[in-house]
Amino acid sequence: MTDTAVPPAFKADETYTPEGQYTFANSREGVRRLPFPFPDDEYMYSMNLEPHVPAGDGAMRAAFDIDEHYISECRHRVQMLEEMPGVHYVALPHMMEAQWDLLELLFESYARDYPEHFTLTKNGNEWHWQNRLLGIDDTFTFGDPSTLELEPMEYATRQAQGEFVVLEERDGDLVIGAGMTTQRADYSLRFNVGMRFFEFHGPVPKLHEMGILDRALKFLLRMKPGHPVRRVNWTLTVNPRLETSVETLPDWAPDRATVTDENAGDLVHLRIELQPLHRLPRSNAIVFPVRTYLVSLAELVEHAPDWAKRLHRALATLDPALVDYKGLTRYHASAVSWLAQYDDGAPLAGGYPWADGGIQPGA
Amino acid sequence: MLITGIKSRPVYDQLVPMASGLRHIAVAQGSGGKPVLRLLAEMTAGQRASTTVVYSTESFTGNSYLSELQDQDDVELRVVATNSEALQALDDVLSTANMGTRLYLAGSEGFIGTAMQVASAYGLDRDEILREHAGSFVRRVWCAHCDTYTENVTTRVFRCPGCELDLVVRDHYSSRLAAFQGVKADGEVPGELPEIEELDT
Repeated sequence: MTDTAVPPAFKADETYTPEGQYTFANSREGVRRLPFPFPDDEYMYSMNLEPHVPAGDGAMRAAFDIDEHYISECRHRVQMLEEMPGVHYVALPHMMEAQWDLLELLFESYARDYPEHFTLTKNGNEWHWQNRLLGIDDTFTFGDPSTLELEPMEYATRQAQGEFVVLEERDGDLVIGAGMTTQRADYSLRFNVGMRFFEFHGPVPKLHEMGILDRALKFLLRMKPGHPVRRVNWTLTVNPRLETSVETLPDWAPDRATVTDENAGDLVHLRIELQPLHRLPRSNAIVFPVRTYLVSLAELVEHAPDWAKRLHRALATLDPALVDYKGLTRYHASAVSWLAQYDDGAPLAGGYPWADGGIQPGA
Repeated sequence: MLITGIKSRPVYDQLVPMASGLRHIAVAQGSGGKPVLRLLAEMTAGQRASTTVVYSTESFTGNSYLSELQDQDDVELRVVATNSEALQALDDVLSTANMGTRLYLAGSEGFIGTAMQVASAYGLDRDEILREHAGSFVRRVWCAHCDTYTENVTTRVFRCPGCELDLVVRDHYSSRLAAFQGVKADGEVPGELPEIEELDT
C-alpha cells in the first residue's frame, strides 16, 4: 500500500447529480485507500463489529475519514438541504445535548487527525473553529445554540463527509432522535425518526431469524464513551449518486433499467459504507455515522484488480433475498457478467484489507 | 426493496382492565366498540364508575356498537360522529388527566395510531396504554414523495390523491407518523405494477 501514503488532492467541483452530469470520479490513490468490505469470496451478513482503532494508512487511519471528495461532498450536502428542506435533516427537540456532543466529537477528531486542515481552539466554553478546506473561521459558545447560525448538529455535519444518525437510549432500546442523511440509501429519515432498533431494521431480511439484531442491540447498549466500534456494509448504486432516498425514488430507480452487460462497468458503482459508532459522553446517545464511498466497477478493475475479482465472486453467489433487498434484481446479472471478464479465478487472500494478511487491491 | 414481512408493525394487545389504574379512558371507533364492551364487562363497579368512553360512529365496515354502549348506564359515554372528533375528545380528556390514568384504544390500525400520537404528546408510557385492533385491515398510508396521508387504504397498490403516483404500500410502519409507507410502485419501469392484492392482514 505504498502508493496510498500521499493524500490525494481535494477536488472541489465534482457532482453527484444527473443535472451536474455526474462528474464524480476517483483517483487511483482514492480507490486503493477504500475500506473494501468483502473479506471472503462469499458474502453473508454478520455483526462484523470491531474496535474502531486506527489501522493502515487508508480509510481506517482517522476516527472520521475524509478523502479527495471532501469539498465536493460538503457542497452536495448544502445543495440537497436547500432543494428539499425538512427532508434530509431532522432533530427532535430533546436531542440538543446530543447535538453538542456530536459537534464536539467531530471537531475534536478532525482537528486531531488532520491538523493541516482543521484547528479547534478552546477557551473554556468559547470555541474557535477553523476549517481551511471550506474557508470557515467561526467562534461560538459551546452549549449555547444562539451563538451558531444553525443547530449544532447541522452546523457540524455540513462540514463532514458521511451521514449521521443519532440514537437515544430509552428503556433498554435505541430510538432514532436525529439525522443528517443527504446521502441515505433507500430509506426515509422523516419516516424512521422515533423508531426503535428492531423497527428501523424491519426492512432488512434475515436479521431477525439469524439472531443478529438481539446481539447487536445488547452489544451497543454496553458501549462506553471513548471506545468506538466500527463495521462496514455495502450495496450497489447506478451512477455515482449519493442521494438515493425513498423520497426521490421516482428520480433514481429508473436508472436501474438502463444497465446492460456492456455499460455495467461505468454505470454500476459499489457503494461502501463505513460505520464507526460512538457513545456520546453527556447525552448518553450513540451516533451512527455512515461514511459512504462510491467506486465504479471499471475503476475497481483498473486500480484494484484483486478487489474487482473478489466483488465478482461475492455478487455471483449473493443470497437472492439480499439481491431483492438491495434493489439489485434488475441489473445484478449484468454486473456479474461484466465483472466475470476480469476474474481469472486465482485464489485471493482472506480478511479485510486493513487487517494483517487481508486482501490488498492488487497490482 | 422489501414490501411484505417487515417487522415494524405494532403488535396489538387485548383490552383488559388495568388494576393499577385510578381513572380509565377508552377510545374506540366502529368495530372497536366490541372489545370496549368486553372490557367494561370485566371491570369492577368501581372501575366502571371511574371510566370515560369516547366512541366514534365513523366506520369503514359500517359496524356500530352504539346502542350497546348506551346501555352501560353507569359508564360516562361521549359519542362523536367522526374519528377526528374522537381524537379531539381524547385530547380534552387527557388535558385534565392525573397520575393513574389508563388508556384503552380499539378500532382500525390508523385510528389507534393517530390516537397514540395524541397520547404520546401527553407523555403516556406504553405500560399505561392497551391497544386492540378491531374491524377491517384498512391502513393509513403516508406518501414518501408528496407527504400526503391517505386513510382507509384497502389494496396493496393505490393512487395517491396528492401526487397521483401509483403507490405500493409497504408493511413498514412509523409510529411517529401513525402511517404505513407508500412508495412509487412502478419506480424502475413505468407501468410495471405489482399485483393489486387486498390488504387483509
